Amino acid sequence: MNAQMRRNIVQTSRIFISLIALTSACQATTALAQEANYRASADPLELTVHYHFRDQYVYTQDWPVEQKAAELTNVRVRNVASSASTNSKDAFNLMITSGDLADIVGGLKDDFNRYGREGAFLPLDDLIAEHAPHIKAFFEAHPAFHNAAAGADGKLYYIPYIQDGTLSEGWFVRQDWLEKLGLETPETPEEVYAVLKAFREQDPNGNGQKDEVPYFSRNLGNTLRLMNLWDARVSGSATYGDFAVYDGELRHPWAEQNYKTAMSNLAQWYKEGLIDPEIFTRGPRAREYLLGNNLGGMTHDWFPSTSTYNVSLADTIEGFSFRPMLPPKTISGDRFEDARRQIVTAEGWGISVANEHPVETIKYFDFWFTELGRQMANFGVEGDTYTIVDGKPTFTEAVLTDSQPVNAQLWEIGAQVPRGYVMDYDYELQWSNEIALAGMQLYEACDCLKPDFMGVALTDNEKAVYDRYWPSILTYMQEMQQTWLLGAQDVDSTWDAYQSRLEQMGYGEVLDVMQTAYQRQYGADQ
Amino acid sequence: MMKRYFSTLWADIRRDWQLYLLLAPMLIWFAVFAYRPLAGLQIAFKDYSIFRGLEGSPWVGFDNFRELFANDLFIRSFWNTIILSGLGLFVAFPVPIILALMFNEIQNAAAKRWAQTIVYLPHFISAVIVAGIVITFLSPSTGVVNLVIRALGFEPIYFLTQPEWFRTIFIGSNIWKEAGFESIVYLAAIAGVSPTLYESARVDGASRWQMIWRITLPCILPTILIMLIIRIGNLVEVGFEYIILLYQPSTYATADVVSTFIYRTGLQGTQYDIATAAGLFNAVIAFVLVYTANRISRRLSSTSLW
Repeated sequence: MNAQMRRNIVQTSRIFISLIALTSACQATTALAQEANYRASADPLELTVHYHFRDQYVYTQDWPVEQKAAELTNVRVRNVASSASTNSKDAFNLMITSGDLADIVGGLKDDFNRYGREGAFLPLDDLIAEHAPHIKAFFEAHPAFHNAAAGADGKLYYIPYIQDGTLSEGWFVRQDWLEKLGLETPETPEEVYAVLKAFREQDPNGNGQKDEVPYFSRNLGNTLRLMNLWDARVSGSATYGDFAVYDGELRHPWAEQNYKTAMSNLAQWYKEGLIDPEIFTRGPRAREYLLGNNLGGMTHDWFPSTSTYNVSLADTIEGFSFRPMLPPKTISGDRFEDARRQIVTAEGWGISVANEHPVETIKYFDFWFTELGRQMANFGVEGDTYTIVDGKPTFTEAVLTDSQPVNAQLWEIGAQVPRGYVMDYDYELQWSNEIALAGMQLYEACDCLKPDFMGVALTDNEKAVYDRYWPSILTYMQEMQQTWLLGAQDVDSTWDAYQSRLEQMGYGEVLDVMQTAYQRQYGADQ
Repeated sequence: MMKRYFSTLWADIRRDWQLYLLLAPMLIWFAVFAYRPLAGLQIAFKDYSIFRGLEGSPWVGFDNFRELFANDLFIRSFWNTIILSGLGLFVAFPVPIILALMFNEIQNAAAKRWAQTIVYLPHFISAVIVAGIVITFLSPSTGVVNLVIRALGFEPIYFLTQPEWFRTIFIGSNIWKEAGFESIVYLAAIAGVSPTLYESARVDGASRWQMIWRITLPCILPTILIMLIIRIGNLVEVGFEYIILLYQPSTYATADVVSTFIYRTGLQGTQYDIATAAGLFNAVIAFVLVYTANRISRRLSSTSLW
């Protein structure tokens, strides 16, 4: 056998193999669509749905994704929520108060657990065990997710929207400014200080004015993100100002000793102009304004959306380069990323006590956990917004190049809406730009995310204690946080008073109930 | 007695039915939006769950009130409310009266109309936009106010994060927004003053200043007193949407009022029972204030609401 022949054989076999792969991929998808067991009901069934979400959307039967699902499952939903409402929580509360419950209700975890225990929603565990093999398999594979979603009685009252992937935000810095000033990407608190100081003093935007804003943020969670440099944490979860787990013990990050050190240093940084002087009032457009006007130097924000400024500002600001960087090391030499994506979200849907077809409904819910259902919930309608390429759902070119962002297009057709389903991270990767992807890879490799506190379900008595003390404590904490940063009060001299005030306001009592609930819920995992 | 009352009322209605028809929308409004919701006040004495409803929620007596008064943030918000509206009353109440007197003195009709339109306009701007204007004006880096301060050689002030500035900002911007519109009532009252009084005063050689003090003000005093009583009744009410737009945790010390407290703990935390208790407490205080103000007014000037 000569070389030429061998090459030919290799080539033919390659073609042959890829042909097999192709046909089998085709078979897989057609098989997926033709599988008959998506039927949730033998006869066509209509169920009312009340799901007003994110203050502006209603779950509707008009979405192409929902129409396709109705075709496959024989269950047609009908929206009864008013699209005129601009507050989802009000819409939910109003429906509960009216006593006129829809068959399927969408809302938030705490409400499901509270009114579920009062009898408004069905506990789903038995229904899932008997009629929803895919949901069952999912929770069997991820028992912690079940724990995170369940009520204080251990029962599940809603099927949560479950996110995929763990990264959400990261640190960004003006790379071109660093280069201009001859600086390296900062690795330690001292280097971060030096960089911010240089941004402030050495006129990196070159307009002759000292108008640079070294660190800025557009939202509450990131105003004080720099506290990470002193090992202090902004939150233990994706919720702002949440409790955090410290070696199996639940405490609040803003009552820790390292928080004191952090605040005392940050107050100094603020005084020196290293933090946006208007950080508390600049509002959600801060990023757009400060980057667009060539003023902002460093922030902590979402990877995909922050990266897009590199494209949109390329023409207006010469050399503009706002790049992700790893979290700097802390004073103790640790390196961690504080922000994360909440895996088990509070959003989802449940079955109301007024529903006469709970079995069909849970089967319908189960559809969204099948491979095809999950594909539709993530990517839309096959042939319309996505096609299968190499066995993987892939957005069409039209979707990827449309002037509207991909997620906004999907919301309009009923994909990526917070029904009970499992998100596919791949959906986001497909439309993230390269800078964002590179940033996320950097963070993946670093593996420095802090573990997520997934929340606890409180019993009635615990909830009463929590409600009595916690809102006031959190208000006080936020008040002091700003007072300290703005320099109206000195951190070191008022810290002891702060701590005793927290105790006096019932911090200890709240910790007790939180810890009890935490043990009950996650004790088995440890 | 009762029977006679109703038969006269019926006769009145038949005679002046057009007038009563005009009154009807207001009565219906009160019945639907003020009297019917009174039943909901029992929520303040219950451990309320929106699913169980009014019937199903258990009574808890004064527990919600006890919890409220044990919370020093509520106490603080209560005093803030009183101080904020008290100061507002003291500073802002005379402004529309002065404005009305000034308008009345403008002789050129076109100039008068211009001036009036300009001061009425801010009333029609929504609170959200006013807050936006205030935030922009007071911005420490680009705000007009701070540009002036800097030009004069002082350090810029981050107004909206400093508790000591909050009341000034709140009351000041409210005067700008509402004073013009509120002056309409007084202008109407001034228009009702008989011209013969001014004519005879002029014959007697009174100056304009004297006419304002001796004729205009005494003649519109009943209107002023009625407006004052109404204002006092609203002393415990501070519009919460405007405060929420302006305040920051760092200014809670002066900016957090009962209505924002209710909003945060009650609506955001869905503790309707506590929120209702706070609202009821507010209403009781308001009632006492109006009642007292009305009594004082009746004794001193024989002008009163009832």
